[in-house]
Amino acid sequence: METGKRPKNPLHKRVWRDLLRDWKRYLMIFLMLVVTIGFVSGMFVANHSMMSSLNENATKFHREDGHFELSRIAEPEIISAIESGKKADMVSIFRSRAYDEAEDEIEKAVRDAIEEKVREQVKSGITETVTETVDQQIRISGEKLPDEMRQTMLDEALRTAMDENYEDAVQEALEQAWDSEEYKDALSEATDEAHKEIDEKIDEEYTEIAQRYELDQSFDPVPVNVYELFYKNADEHIAEKDPYKGKIRVYSERSEVDLYDLLSGRAPENEHEIIIDRMHADNAGIRIGDTVKAGSTEFEVVGLASFTDYITLYENNTDTMFDALTFDVGMVTDEGFERISTSLHANYAFTYKEKPADVSAEKTLSDHFLKALITQTAVSEKTLEIKDYVPAYANNAINFAADDLGSDMAMGGVLLYILTAVLAFIFAVSISSMLEKEASVIGTLRASGYTKGELLRYYMSAPLLVVILAAIVGNVLGYTVFKEVIVGMYYNSYSLPSYETLWTPEAFIRTTVVPFVLMLLINFIVIVRKLRLSPLRFLRHDLKKTHRKKAIRLPRWSFFRRFRLRVFLQNLPNYLMLFIGITFVMLLLSMAVGMPSTLSYYQERMPDMMFAKEQVILSDYLDEDGGIIKTKADSAEPFSISSLEYRTEKYNEEISVYGIVENSRYIDITVPEHDDEMWISTAFSAKYHLNTGDSFTLSEKYENKQYTWKVAGVYTYDAALAVFMPNDRFNEIFERDAEAFSGYLSDETITDIDEKSIVKRITADDMVKIAKQLDHSMGSYMLYFQYVCMIVAAIILYLLTKIIIEKNERPIAMVKILGYEDGEISRLYLITTAVVVIISEFAAMALGYLLMKIFWGIMMRTLGGYFAFIMKPEGFIREFVLVTAAYLVITVFDFIRIKHIPKVLALKNAE
Amino acid sequence: MSEAERLFLEVRGLKKSFGSGDTRQDVLRGLDFSVSKGEFCVLLGPSGSGKSTLLNILGGIDSADAGEILINGDKLEDMNEKSLTRYRRKHLGYVFQSYNLIPNLNVKENIETGAYLSDQPLDIDELLKTLGLFEHRYKLPNQLSGGQQQRVSIGRAIVKNPDILLCDEPTGALDYTTSKEILQLIEEVNRKYSNTIIMVTHNEAIRLMADHVIKLRDGKIRHDDRITKKISAAELEW
Repeated sequence: METGKRPKNPLHKRVWRDLLRDWKRYLMIFLMLVVTIGFVSGMFVANHSMMSSLNENATKFHREDGHFELSRIAEPEIISAIESGKKADMVSIFRSRAYDEAEDEIEKAVRDAIEEKVREQVKSGITETVTETVDQQIRISGEKLPDEMRQTMLDEALRTAMDENYEDAVQEALEQAWDSEEYKDALSEATDEAHKEIDEKIDEEYTEIAQRYELDQSFDPVPVNVYELFYKNADEHIAEKDPYKGKIRVYSERSEVDLYDLLSGRAPENEHEIIIDRMHADNAGIRIGDTVKAGSTEFEVVGLASFTDYITLYENNTDTMFDALTFDVGMVTDEGFERISTSLHANYAFTYKEKPADVSAEKTLSDHFLKALITQTAVSEKTLEIKDYVPAYANNAINFAADDLGSDMAMGGVLLYILTAVLAFIFAVSISSMLEKEASVIGTLRASGYTKGELLRYYMSAPLLVVILAAIVGNVLGYTVFKEVIVGMYYNSYSLPSYETLWTPEAFIRTTVVPFVLMLLINFIVIVRKLRLSPLRFLRHDLKKTHRKKAIRLPRWSFFRRFRLRVFLQNLPNYLMLFIGITFVMLLLSMAVGMPSTLSYYQERMPDMMFAKEQVILSDYLDEDGGIIKTKADSAEPFSISSLEYRTEKYNEEISVYGIVENSRYIDITVPEHDDEMWISTAFSAKYHLNTGDSFTLSEKYENKQYTWKVAGVYTYDAALAVFMPNDRFNEIFERDAEAFSGYLSDETITDIDEKSIVKRITADDMVKIAKQLDHSMGSYMLYFQYVCMIVAAIILYLLTKIIIEKNERPIAMVKILGYEDGEISRLYLITTAVVVIISEFAAMALGYLLMKIFWGIMMRTLGGYFAFIMKPEGFIREFVLVTAAYLVITVFDFIRIKHIPKVLALKNAE
Repeated sequence: MSEAERLFLEVRGLKKSFGSGDTRQDVLRGLDFSVSKGEFCVLLGPSGSGKSTLLNILGGIDSADAGEILINGDKLEDMNEKSLTRYRRKHLGYVFQSYNLIPNLNVKENIETGAYLSDQPLDIDELLKTLGLFEHRYKLPNQLSGGQQQRVSIGRAIVKNPDILLCDEPTGALDYTTSKEILQLIEEVNRKYSNTIIMVTHNEAIRLMADHVIKLRDGKIRHDDRITKKISAAELEW
């Protein structure tokens, strides 16, 4: 007997053939994985790369730590004083300046008083002497002169005497007076009195300013570097586009601070050239080589850039939303800057000499620096006012994009959780059905002596290969195609700088390692559990835990109906899988359809949601003269607003705190019984599950101050997370004047308040803008995602209906032999599935919606603000249409599959 | 070699039932028999007589309720699952009525699945020739006739040169001529490789080619005969 060599495990060869044999199933799993890994890692990579680029650019492009605008160009001494970061001693400076100013006045006043007195004395002396002399002359003449004559003589003599002696006498007397002690005493006394008066006045004024700007609180000097960052605002015209009219803010050449990333073209080299914001150029259709007009001055666009202080195009930091459509930022050479005829804005950027460690430290620095700035400008000899002050941490133009990128990450995370669950489901279904198909082979191999371990490794191999391949392709696509798509979306919304694609370990772990391990684990568990069964049960194809019970009696329906019902009952477990699969898809679709639905709902409803048509926020409730700012608008009602933080582990939520007048026509709340009870908005209640009687704690954003209150009631207001309290309570809590308020709520436009006093005017348009912008940046995402969902639905339906048909191949072959036509067979098998799919769709829509609401709540907790999840009826219709369309495509495949089942299959040996 | 020395497989008091309570069905009701090394043993009996159940228990893929089985001195019921797998791997070859070939492996590769389990498998090419499959060795199972598929299945079972070859109705799905060819092949294998063969069949004619015939009915042994004068498979008629 000849013996041979032990061959290599032939099952290894089979792995590849298994992949080929079942290529459609594996292709579907492969596609599903590629879509998940590619799409989500594309999102993560784009996000991470962009975020890193933004963070690095702060240093790379010397981003400002803040900027301020002055009413005019400041003298170098003032800039040096500001750079020192020290507070000017306003009181001393003002006092000495006032003393100096007062000195001459005091002396003059004293001298005038003395001179008047001297002149009085000289005049009366001369009069006395002349009267005596005249009377003596009359007496000597002995004549009895009438009184009139005497008076005439006296007047004559007085006039002569005055003319001849008065001035000399006065001068002589004054010279004596200036040397006298009396004069010195008078002068000193007057000076003291004047100083006292000045001191009182200055103290009064300073106290007010100090109170307003908290100048007397603890202060550490904040040395900074100050850079000129002058700009001119002008109307923007584009030569080729007549109707277009926007605004452009032109800066002179930037070389030290707030540099720019030139995305295309080159920097301006002469006075006729300009570079402008890339995002705006895209929106307005401006290309390099085009001519734009800033006011009446023409420039040729030679480059498109991203300015590090204008990542998002906010014209003013107080604007509710940015405007990349009609607001542009540009930079020209210094000579070019001179050519623009509009007025210059004396804007200065500053950077801290010692960088703060975090936002909280930055806020402290900024507060202290502001004090230095206020005092240093206040003490300027020539009037100098601060027009604007924006620290970088509060600058929307710098931060908005980064915040938005952050919220996209949260959304991507939820998406990934659901997709991973779908993947797990597909893996489990697919491996189970594969093992059932392989029952005879497994039984034979086990009976021949193959160990469980050998079979486990073998059956893990094919899915493992698919996942590895999909991971490679998915990551490659994620880092290239999908990333490009997402980056494109970001570039569509923001003026982002160029970026470098970064290796993102988090993306790799979450999109690749997790599904990989999940697949391994699910396959491992399913295979190990199945392999516990004896080889005999595999040989008998007896893999179910429960054995079939007796046939259910069916009503006397038509044959076809009963047949279909039998098909349904027989495939119940598979149909259950189908239902679960559809539920997953509907869950995904709920997000993809529900997000735009929610935003459009808010866009439509926002005007109704606002308390009043307009919220006018004032810089102070008092005008310059200390009078309360009032309006004649009938519907206007004062209110107060402040913001505090609700802190959770995941997010520090900004809560608007409102002070409301009693019997308000806009916010109908009753005054809570206890001082620590507050009303909260429905949005606040919904997001953090707070109900009447619950306690909650709000904190000051940058101070270590906390307020713990109880919910007095929930007020229907979905537009914001808010707390409401009576205005006097508000003033008490925030230590403000008893009659203080922040602004007016009004249904009519307030026109009689000086615009200078108004910080912000919030109308429904502004609120809708937010929803519109969110819709713009997320909406396009979601449309892509709806199609991804459709593909996922098609893959799931394909895999599951394939299993159902494969299980019924033999009976299908049998009915073919009996003479049934393909159409009739399809009616028997496909209609059952169609009915199940449609019923599942309805049930899954409801279930998916409910699950999405839960996910939405979780997602909202990592984001600022709150939107309740709203699905409009047409959203449900859309979900239904998308899944049904996917199913119809798959039905065609199924029909072809049924058609291709050979009749001989029924005749082959059956165990 | 004495009869005792040749004793290879011993079954004592083997019982097996399915179900419980009213539905309890005693399939094997206490079987005692032994098989010698190299013997060609045929288990005969009508459907439901318990012969396949017995074969499965001998093959270690089913378990008995009571009784013991000794193979080469090893007690089967003492073996845990791992040992049973090792036992099947080292000592057993299985041939099924439904050939259970791996559809996407060719003839040679299907046989290699058996060869892989042995440290010293038979030479595959020589075996293919013995099986009359050499020229078909690169064909896939669905390109073969039923008889050829069963040959592959036998090849897969014996390539590891097992001590015992268990055959469960190996001709059950085959026509007369093909059945005879398969029986001749099994006969040749038995002669050439001296394996102990236990074959389950309901074909009475096959008993004539066996060394040892055990007839079962209702879970009991009705006859246990050692045949002294057997005929060759080629001479069988039914």
